[in-house]
Amino acid sequence: MEAAAAELESKPAKRAGRRFWRILIQQRYLYLMSLPFIAWAFVFSYLPLWGWTMAFQKFRPGRPFLDQEWVGLQYFRELFHDPQFYLVLRNTIAMSTMSLVAGFTVPILFALVLNEVRSMSVKRFVQTVSYLPHFVSWVVVAGLVTKMLATDGVVNGILMGLHLIDQPIQYMAKGNLFWYIVTGSDVWKEMGWNTIIYLAAISGIGPELYEAAKVDGAGRLRSIWHITLPGIRSTIIILLIISIGHLISIGFEKQFLLGNPLVSDYAQVLDLYALNYGLSMGRFSFGTAINIFNSIISLFLLFVANGVFKRITKESVF
Amino acid sequence: MANKRSRSAAALMAIALTVSMLAGCAGKDKGNGGASPGTAAPSGSAGSSPSASAEDLAPVTFTYFSEDPNPNWNNMQDDVSKEITKRTGVTLNAEYAVGDPAQKVALMAASGQYPDIIAAKGDIGKLVDAGGVIDLTDLIDKYAPNIKRVLGPYLSRAKYTTKDQAIYSIPTWAAVNEQKFVAGGGFELQHRVVKEAGYPQIRTLQDYEKVIKDYLAKHPTDENGNKNVGVSLNADDWHMYISVTNPAVAVTGGSDDGEYWVDQDTFEATYHFRRPEEKEYFRWLNHMNAEGLLDKESFVQKYDQYKAKVASGRVLGLIDQDWDYNDGQQALKAAGKFDQTYGHYPVTMSTDIKEPSFWPTGFMGGYGISISSTAKDPVRIIKFLDFLASDEGQILNNWGIEGKHYIVENGKRVVPKEVQERINNDNTAFTKESGIGFYWNIMVHYGDGAKDANGDYYTKNNPELIPVGYSDVERETLKAYNATIWKDLFPAETEFKEKAYGAAWNIQIPGEDEVSILGNKMKDITWKRVPEAILAKPEDFDKIWDAYQQDLVKAGVEKMEKGYTKYVQDRVALWRADEGK
Repeated sequence: MEAAAAELESKPAKRAGRRFWRILIQQRYLYLMSLPFIAWAFVFSYLPLWGWTMAFQKFRPGRPFLDQEWVGLQYFRELFHDPQFYLVLRNTIAMSTMSLVAGFTVPILFALVLNEVRSMSVKRFVQTVSYLPHFVSWVVVAGLVTKMLATDGVVNGILMGLHLIDQPIQYMAKGNLFWYIVTGSDVWKEMGWNTIIYLAAISGIGPELYEAAKVDGAGRLRSIWHITLPGIRSTIIILLIISIGHLISIGFEKQFLLGNPLVSDYAQVLDLYALNYGLSMGRFSFGTAINIFNSIISLFLLFVANGVFKRITKESVF
Repeated sequence: MANKRSRSAAALMAIALTVSMLAGCAGKDKGNGGASPGTAAPSGSAGSSPSASAEDLAPVTFTYFSEDPNPNWNNMQDDVSKEITKRTGVTLNAEYAVGDPAQKVALMAASGQYPDIIAAKGDIGKLVDAGGVIDLTDLIDKYAPNIKRVLGPYLSRAKYTTKDQAIYSIPTWAAVNEQKFVAGGGFELQHRVVKEAGYPQIRTLQDYEKVIKDYLAKHPTDENGNKNVGVSLNADDWHMYISVTNPAVAVTGGSDDGEYWVDQDTFEATYHFRRPEEKEYFRWLNHMNAEGLLDKESFVQKYDQYKAKVASGRVLGLIDQDWDYNDGQQALKAAGKFDQTYGHYPVTMSTDIKEPSFWPTGFMGGYGISISSTAKDPVRIIKFLDFLASDEGQILNNWGIEGKHYIVENGKRVVPKEVQERINNDNTAFTKESGIGFYWNIMVHYGDGAKDANGDYYTKNNPELIPVGYSDVERETLKAYNATIWKDLFPAETEFKEKAYGAAWNIQIPGEDEVSILGNKMKDITWKRVPEAILAKPEDFDKIWDAYQQDLVKAGVEKMEKGYTKYVQDRVALWRADEGK
């Protein structure tokens, strides 16, 4: 029985092998074209993996590989025993989840609204204005935000003018507001840019569907719900899975630039922690250990998200 | 069908990746192996080529890296550099750090590719670890009479550690026989504030507070209706040390030892925030905040916002160092608002405490210049460095070319009027052309106030020349206090006993050492808790301060102090041992 099964399996395998070569020759130009990108991914994403060995050594720069002292899991133990690490992890996950939720819903809503605008010139104008902030660097954005939220800034000015508050509020000094400020400025900066991809997906939906809906008597909201949204569903899900994979590696620019010592309990994120307690102190091994932890969590999240969506919606990245 | 095809494509990709990954690993191994002979070069090969002739002036180019930036560097095309090339045959191919120099040095150590001459400042440990710099003891002994003469007994302060007594870097940041004349610290007040108050004595926190309070009561806004600010602190990142935490040591009479207070007899180090005296200083800041005299944005503003605020002339008082707020003050000077620039006052907790700005550290050793293990001709390099350390070299760097940048009148060096005018008004271009000062940290040098054999000063920063740079308003204020320079207001060096270990802040602690890691944790706690305590309601201050102290103990502050004490005591032992010789 088993032998028969094996025989059955081997035949298609052979056939598949032959087909593979035929396709390879048929599509040789396509494969050739993809080679540079494979090389690129290899050099920048796979080659550095070699550096992971540093996390298990007491790494000292300039020494040949074999002269390094191996210390096993010492740096991971140090990492997991540091209470600050858990604080930092909490901040990272909180801020990335918030920016994932906000950074997802807002651009989709914005794209839907923009799509309903009939006047082309207004649509173009709004679109251009909304994605301009994407090209402004975080340093500048942080400066703008701090200025606006300062005690003599615009926000306090307006609120005071409306008599909603009688004392200016120091927004940047309040730890519990920090996550919202970061998420808010992130949404402002990236909303327009992230809309582009949805607008492109929407424009791919055939106009005959809308016409048919109209004939059937559907209003605007109904056609958004039944045609536009399902039309861009696969785009949404793929982007969502990818962003979930990046959930934990949110970088540190925002937190670094907007933070100050008063809010450090809320502003320290993993990458900042790796910088302050790893690289800046010359503790390359410790920094690498943090990085490995980061990558493993990211991979885990990616697979989970992918699995969940595959089961629920039958859409997935791989 | 489509699915199957994509699967085989994926398989191909996987194979391609694995194969090239293996190849990559092999390549990397080779790379490492290839680099090792370079990095493993024996560090003792220093004095191996003593055959070089004494007066070798053949043109030679050395590569040089410095951790300090020099935006005016002119690729040796300036007057001073040309003269140096003429005298030594040496041309420097220099690279000055941009961005984070520590990482650049780490990269050098990792790749094993070093410039010939390196100024690695606090990161020298990384290079020593990697075998990237050579021991200079023999080279100095054989080929550098000038360096030996200038450093004299201090040469031993260049030794690396008690365990490894090699000289890896020649100290070129610290100056020999230095007498400081410039008082850049203390507490600052705008000249208009003290003038309005009738130039009262400014000696205690209460004196300082009173003049600011009185002025603010009379002039709450500037002429455009913008609010005047009592005191603004500069707390952006490391500026926190300069403007918030170091002054706590100073007003309680401690000399600057970084984050520690060191007992001058037992050399025991205490994390300085744990001293009860300092709690009272922070309580005063808390009080200033409650009174509305402290800028509410002190702890959220960024450095450029702080400078812009200073430049607006609205800030009456600062607690900072002049180099830290100078950009803002320059703007005030350019706008002619001289009465809104600042004077320096020796403020302490009470009149029986001496303001320690001029507590002498002696020669500090520390940061210096090194020769790499890959340098082709160490002897030639040490001779070049020795030329710079000679009287000729030092005067060339500090004063420029005789007849062009200075003249000798009655046996004294004098800067002609038209040159001084260019220095004052067209500084950048003048520096670029002349190259004066470029070699300050490459050469072993005498400090301000040191005199040469003719009784003339080595540097331009001497008591006769400092008042030349003062504005009229500044002179008026000084006159009211019976002083000619700001230093006159501060307790003089002679009132203190020289520290036996230089300054604790320039003791190098390896990054991997627990003391470093704990230090970083304490910093995080302090930078969070101190602002919190200052901004709290006065009745909550004690509670927050106690919680802060408990946080420190919980995080292991005692262990850190013990570790640090060892470093200080080791240095004292290292330096003392040589004094006996």
